[in-house]
Amino acid sequence: MKNLLSLAGLSSLDRALSFALIALALAVAPAAALAQPMLRTAPDWTRSLVTVEITFNAHDAFQPWNNPTVSTRKHGLVVAPGEVLTTAQYLPTHTLVRLQKGGRGRWYDARVKWWDAQTNLALLTTEAPEFWAGLKPAELMTTVPAGPEFNLVRWREGNLESRRADFSRFIVSEGALGFAPQMIMEVSTDIGGRLGWAEIVERDGRVAGLTTYGTSRLCGAMPASFIQRVLTAYRAGGFAGLGYFDFTWQPGSNPVLVTDLGLSGAPRGAVVNKPGKAKDEAGLQAGDILLEIGGFAIDSEGDYLDPDYGHLQLENLATRAHFSGEKLPMKILRADKEMTLDYVIPEAKFEKESVPREVFYAPPAYVVAGGLIFQPLSQAFLRGWGDDWRKNAPFRLQYYQYAEPPDGRKSLVVLSGVLPDDINLGYQDALMLVVDKVNGQTIASLTDLTAALAAPKDGVHRFEFMKGRGLQRLILDAATLDAATKRVVKHYGIPAATRL
Amino acid sequence: MQNSKGVHAGRDSLGRRFVRVVRGALAALAMALLLGGIGSAALRAEAFVAERAVVQILTSSQVPVYDAPWRFQPVQRSSGTGFVIDGGRILTNAHVIAWAKQILVRRYQDPRLLPARVVFAGHDCDLALLELIEPKELADVKPLEFGELPEVRSTVVTAGYPAGGDQMSFTRGVVSRIEVQPYAHPGNRALLAVQTDAAINPGNSGGPVIQDDKVVGVAFQGIPGLQNAGFFIPPEVIRHFLDDIKDGRYDGFPMAGVNFYDLQNPAYRRLLGLPDDGRGARVDALRAGGPAERVLKPDDVLLEANGYVVGSDGLVLYKGNRVAAAVVFQQLQAGQVLRLKVWRDGGPLEVNLPLEAYDGDRLNGRQYDEPPRYFIHGGLVFTSLSANYLDSASDGGRGGVRDELAQLGYELHHLPVESPDAARTEPVVLSSVLPHPVNADFGVRGQAFVNRINGVRITCLEDVKRALLEHKGERHRFEFWGPTYGPLEALDRAAAIAANADILRTYGIVSAERL
Repeated sequence: MKNLLSLAGLSSLDRALSFALIALALAVAPAAALAQPMLRTAPDWTRSLVTVEITFNAHDAFQPWNNPTVSTRKHGLVVAPGEVLTTAQYLPTHTLVRLQKGGRGRWYDARVKWWDAQTNLALLTTEAPEFWAGLKPAELMTTVPAGPEFNLVRWREGNLESRRADFSRFIVSEGALGFAPQMIMEVSTDIGGRLGWAEIVERDGRVAGLTTYGTSRLCGAMPASFIQRVLTAYRAGGFAGLGYFDFTWQPGSNPVLVTDLGLSGAPRGAVVNKPGKAKDEAGLQAGDILLEIGGFAIDSEGDYLDPDYGHLQLENLATRAHFSGEKLPMKILRADKEMTLDYVIPEAKFEKESVPREVFYAPPAYVVAGGLIFQPLSQAFLRGWGDDWRKNAPFRLQYYQYAEPPDGRKSLVVLSGVLPDDINLGYQDALMLVVDKVNGQTIASLTDLTAALAAPKDGVHRFEFMKGRGLQRLILDAATLDAATKRVVKHYGIPAATRL
Repeated sequence: MQNSKGVHAGRDSLGRRFVRVVRGALAALAMALLLGGIGSAALRAEAFVAERAVVQILTSSQVPVYDAPWRFQPVQRSSGTGFVIDGGRILTNAHVIAWAKQILVRRYQDPRLLPARVVFAGHDCDLALLELIEPKELADVKPLEFGELPEVRSTVVTAGYPAGGDQMSFTRGVVSRIEVQPYAHPGNRALLAVQTDAAINPGNSGGPVIQDDKVVGVAFQGIPGLQNAGFFIPPEVIRHFLDDIKDGRYDGFPMAGVNFYDLQNPAYRRLLGLPDDGRGARVDALRAGGPAERVLKPDDVLLEANGYVVGSDGLVLYKGNRVAAAVVFQQLQAGQVLRLKVWRDGGPLEVNLPLEAYDGDRLNGRQYDEPPRYFIHGGLVFTSLSANYLDSASDGGRGGVRDELAQLGYELHHLPVESPDAARTEPVVLSSVLPHPVNADFGVRGQAFVNRINGVRITCLEDVKRALLEHKGERHRFEFWGPTYGPLEALDRAAAIAANADILRTYGIVSAERL
């Protein structure tokens, strides 16, 4: 999705630009009224806001051995000598990163010092001393005030552009790249054009946030307070990754339900309806009412009152002041009794999901065996069906995102296609099937698959698929499999039969 | 959501794609026609011998609202065609008279509207038999006789009342091909069907397709986007329907509950000990509890069915046409026995497969004529999870996988095949909550799968009623989604009972249940 978005972003850039120019021209008169507060601070963002060009590998879901590259540009912010901060979007599979200052002129080859999908942050640097000349680190706010006015600043066509951005609200949502919860500041602006490319939101020369998504009038920014906290931990060598709450909950707003669960008095707290993975006594249970998390009282909407940012969803407490692995005390009501337990915040990692949303932590893995193409089942793969993937991707494959396989296997392998060859004659319609067993061995990963392929029985490889509406079984000749795979790989121009 | 797979055989990916296309066709065919007045009855120079037996059928129908199951949609008027057969009855398509509140028949060159009623409707084969309230009105009509399956390339003529005018219309075409095709009306059945390039348009439905003065088919569906392709129901399917009802009851086409798959891969054939002679289709899956499961095993290879040689592509040569082996199964009535020659453990074996009628997948297909079951308590509306329900809840079910409907689609279409033991007889959904102070704080507001109520696992609507009415505690506890966890809700027991009458009155609901 992210990859596809960038393609769309590039193609619509020209149109967006011309639209924005018209908008600028029309906005001259009203902008005059705002000129004064902007002039008063007169921050020189040309000295700390730079342009980042990223060339990265896009994910080809149906031909995972292909590495098509796409380029895009966004913003970077000098935050320390020799350090440019930007969002992590598009960086995980980068092949080339370059930096440019002043909105024009020379591009400097850059290196990614660090990136993290869950925080959606990255630090870049370049060895070229000329790049750093004249640049100075920007100042990040430690607490972001709730409005009312900020400015959105960006490079456009070689010129710095600044426009008023009105504070809208603080919300808690999954990060733009990961799934750990983050507090996001939403601002509205009439700057137009494409937004969400790490433009800065600032006031009085201090950075309030970096944008991570946007439509033409509304965009979300990661607040500087959060960025500061992560950078401080990273620099101290103590960044353990973001955590999340692995249980699910619902508002405790039905008085009949919370009474039934043992609560007396007015409804408060959130009701746990699916426990997390911790199975010990410290774990939560379905029907527990969460009364306090980390000392903050939870109301019946599932919100807490943040001292800096007002009412926010309880999910934010997983990342507000903690990283993964830390203990977070929770006061709960269970079986009419209040008790406190120490919840250990699990790390948010795509690798732990049974259908990972992203697989960019490694080059797309696949196995081609006798023309059958096997891949791990991931959301990244399902997005291969395009923008309408929820409509067009096979329903059953999508449903594994909602309900994990009942036998508890940690991940799944899908037969995603058949490259026609003599060995697989008759199987040309065997598509989009989740593998259950190969040669009698349960398959949860491509590693399992390659191991199982080493042990054919009765001269054949036996592939069994998950019980369901599709094909249940197929057989490949074992004696000729390796030769057939070599033939297929050559015939169809695949660089290697396997990438694990 | 997905369609269920075709009956006995057929290739899944192709079949499924096709059904999707055909389903639209039904909408077009069943589309209400605005009926003009009766035009002047000009006599033709060359009178067609069959036309006096061909009638127009005008139907006023009312379809229930599945996600508000006590209500009905506005009355729709539509028209189709039918023809008089032996016994003075009228044969037409089931979709012409589905959900009918009133059926009127117009005879050829007769200005009167004659009321009729349904005698039998076979929704699985899209055929229905009607009779006039005054049967003597048809006493002077010579009934049409049935012929045999027409040959590909031979010429057929259709007669009917399609859109575009008021008078009977005739079209001529050749028989293009004959195959087992998905029937759009049931949505989850595939039977033998004949394709022709004779124009078949909305309003033609139920009309005879004639060759040599005999009926060789009933026009029934088209495929949007295909040019010059209409489909008709062949004589074998018609005869099966007419034979089935002879005992006064319609059982429907038997379903053996077996999926065959091509057996063209040389290694697979070798493994099973079969020569590479192009014969035999492999048993890939068997429906749990189905008749085939009792006599067949996975990887059995079907060599012959009632004397028809089965190819490695799963097809048989049937009257000169290569069609899915299912056609052989479909010749038999429920209760009859199919003789199969299978290949098992390296040798041939004769087995008898007794066939049974099957309606276990009723909820997966389209249902007709029986309004949805429901139970309302405390403003919570419970109804059966069905394909009809999902279509109403998701505007046709084509919007992709929406979070709240994904589980419903899975429970309905996939769970019964994947884990038959975990599947419920009649999955129940909370379709909506009728707002009232008693339920205003009830957080789940509808489109939610009902897992347990007061600790009782819900397997049918009667379970809902029992769990609620027999509960003695102060509050009812509801668990949605499942299989283990999901949203929890509760309702005050006494307050719900007290509110029932008020809620029914407020929302104009006559009965709190249809069970």
